[in-house]
Amino acid sequence: MFIRAEYEKKDQLKYISHLELMNTFRRSFRRAKLPVKYSQGYNPHIIFSMSQPLPVGMIGFQEYFDLELNQRIAFDLIKTEVNKKLPSGLKIKEIIEIHEKEKSLQAVVNTAIYQYEMEFDKVQKDKDKLLKNFLNKEKIEITRFRRNKDDRKIDLAPMIHDGKIVDDDIWEFIISTGSSGNVRPQEVLRALNIETKGLIKKVPLVKIKRIGLFVRKDNKLYKPINSEVLKKEVKEN
Amino acid sequence: MNVRDKIYDRLIEVSNPERYIGNEYNIIKKDWDKDKIKVLTAFPDVYEIGMSHLGLKIIYHLLNKEDNIICERTYSPWPDLEKLLRNEKLPIFSLESGRSVDEFDILAFTLQYEMSYTNILTILDLAGLSFYSSDRGENDPLVIGGGSIVSNIEPVALFFDLIFIGEAENHIVEIINKYNKLKNNGLTKNEILTRLSDIPGVYVPSLYNIKYTDNGTIKSINSKDNIKPKIKRQLVSNLDESFYPEDFLVPYMDIVHDRATVEVSRGCTKGCRFCSAGITYRPVRERKKDTLLKQIDNILDSTGYDEISLTSLSTVDHTEIQDLVQKLTAKYEKDNVSVSLSSLRVDKFSVELAKEVQKVRKTGLTFAPEAGTERLRKVINKGVSEKNLYEACEAAFNEGWSTVKLYFMIGLPTETNEDLQGIVDMVNKVLEIGNEIRKDNKKSMKPIRINVSVSTFIPKASTPFQWEPMVDKVDLIEKIKFLRNKLNKKGINFSWNDENLSLLESIFSRGDRRLSDVLITAWEKGARFDGWGDFFDINTWLESFRENNINPDFYLRRRDKDEILPWDHIDLGLNPKFLLNEYNKALKNENTSDCRFANCKGCNICINLDVDLDIIGNDYNVYKS
Repeated sequence: MFIRAEYEKKDQLKYISHLELMNTFRRSFRRAKLPVKYSQGYNPHIIFSMSQPLPVGMIGFQEYFDLELNQRIAFDLIKTEVNKKLPSGLKIKEIIEIHEKEKSLQAVVNTAIYQYEMEFDKVQKDKDKLLKNFLNKEKIEITRFRRNKDDRKIDLAPMIHDGKIVDDDIWEFIISTGSSGNVRPQEVLRALNIETKGLIKKVPLVKIKRIGLFVRKDNKLYKPINSEVLKKEVKEN
Repeated sequence: MNVRDKIYDRLIEVSNPERYIGNEYNIIKKDWDKDKIKVLTAFPDVYEIGMSHLGLKIIYHLLNKEDNIICERTYSPWPDLEKLLRNEKLPIFSLESGRSVDEFDILAFTLQYEMSYTNILTILDLAGLSFYSSDRGENDPLVIGGGSIVSNIEPVALFFDLIFIGEAENHIVEIINKYNKLKNNGLTKNEILTRLSDIPGVYVPSLYNIKYTDNGTIKSINSKDNIKPKIKRQLVSNLDESFYPEDFLVPYMDIVHDRATVEVSRGCTKGCRFCSAGITYRPVRERKKDTLLKQIDNILDSTGYDEISLTSLSTVDHTEIQDLVQKLTAKYEKDNVSVSLSSLRVDKFSVELAKEVQKVRKTGLTFAPEAGTERLRKVINKGVSEKNLYEACEAAFNEGWSTVKLYFMIGLPTETNEDLQGIVDMVNKVLEIGNEIRKDNKKSMKPIRINVSVSTFIPKASTPFQWEPMVDKVDLIEKIKFLRNKLNKKGINFSWNDENLSLLESIFSRGDRRLSDVLITAWEKGARFDGWGDFFDINTWLESFRENNINPDFYLRRRDKDEILPWDHIDLGLNPKFLLNEYNKALKNENTSDCRFANCKGCNICINLDVDLDIIGNDYNVYKS
């Protein structure tokens, strides 16, 4: 049986890398004695795949992984048993069964919501206007710095879908993520910094949280565990 | 107070912040009860090295098992975190509660290798403590040390209030409780240390006075009135019944030994004459197979690891190893748990065993012939023949391994170019064997690779070679050049040690208390993590020797047989004549057989330390076809 799980990664665990996170999950599955499926070959490993990696330093509230099990187990049991064996900071929130041919998380997840702790150069009165002007721009051009590759100019405008001020200095942006268009969360701030001529400051990654990952379809956001975006014929547990 | 919280978000600025977060699965966080005794263990190297160290894991769990003790951990901060802490004027903190050292009663270092000495100073300094024990006050925590290099701890001895000589399992709780009681009774630090020095194995360096002759050698080592003149090494007599943790911490980071570990035996009596551990952990004590099986089961359960390492100084010599390995593979193969052996003997039996354990995951094979000719291997008492090596490698290649790693040493006593040529010949022969097998093999096999790792021999305290001079630097460079030029065939990969680092290690290995100031000077000039090539600068050290008027060559020279050695007051339990006998036999190219499987060789450790060789089976493990 194939399952998809929603989990959160927070507190100290924001400092562990994607690979370390995968190892942590693998070991917790073993501690929980989950009948996980292994790959064949010289170096067998647990068949397990995850949604887009969180950068080191960032907390995530709605992250996902897919896992294959050798036998059917009640979702609640998986959730409680694995949660007992996870270090504090990691918690599985929901589990669903998915079709074995379901598209991978990395293939379907295309949108993310990030929340920023904003910092301003001086006291800003009309923040709403700042944001509105930014979102209304037809072109938001920045330079993307790439490791071992030449820098490249990209336009963020079509990949920033929306934004809102949650509470004065807490802003949220809905942006594209994944293989068909990807915005790095700090690039939004960099663009804001340029557009506002330095009024909005850049902040370190630890000031940004990933609220969630979504499948964006017809301008609506769905969790990748929402039945609206999954194949239908999965048996009920 | 939680110091770490003040910089939590700024850890994003340092490399590998996960080194400092703690929060590992199975971490022990106790309530900070004011009546409890707080011990902070410190490993003077970075997290991924320190977390791999078995001794510290044992101490951590052993102390936390006590209701009245809280034991937390710290490791050397990488230079980027050190800089951040200094900029923010913050002290070093524990991983469990994030507290600074001044909130602890005891700071306990584990001492594993000489090239981590400057890291001890970093930790002391970031704790706000003076380096020398004599400069620290009544309210400072007690600074203690222990570990495998205590056979000569003198270069750092005066930084410590107390050092434990030997295996601490049976005494550490007693020391801590007694310290706490005496402290609560209002005794001064000096009074407390004098009282603690009554406990077997406890070495209080300030109670021993060293006098020097005009030519710089040691004139006398005298203990103060009513203090034992020698400190006798302590050990665990029954390893099988001795404490072993089963709920190991599971790190996030990929640490050096990232797997579950059981200690199958302690001690090795093969008698390699260059080996310090072969003396300091004598005699051999084995754990029973059934005990190990139970421990492994519990450890895998509690950690979720999928690899179990059978560790000891010579795992393949454990008398129940074959049966143990067969039981383990039968039991765990279906769970995809792989077994690894920490050290292989150079013979066919080892390869057969490796084949058995590598059913699940295949890793590299390493053999250590150590020297290139039969003659030199007799000098160092490495009882390995060329035939052993070729048979082992042939078996390995036939079983599908395409890469083997070979360990050798250079700069050994009596070594000539003939011995170096012997290394070249052996490596070439192994390569040839591999290529032949590959050629005839119908199945596709990766190209044969021989990784030759050559380290520099360093004369160590309390070994038969303790009087030998360190190889001369010019000669050492020549030897490396010789090998580099000749080990040039395709498929051979040659690596060697930095010669300056070897020389520095050698100075401190047989050093004395006069080197403490050199360490401090070098540290002040920025020496950190010297064992890591990237930070090491020999010029820093040469300047530090000069500024302290110390000639480093004095420590590299040949020692007279009647010279008082800086470590003479540390009693490892050896018959005083044993090392000299072994040294003389070395010069006559004579082997000494392993007392596990032959008669007693008269090192007298069993008698002097009141312990027995504790061997479960009777026989030397041999390959049976």
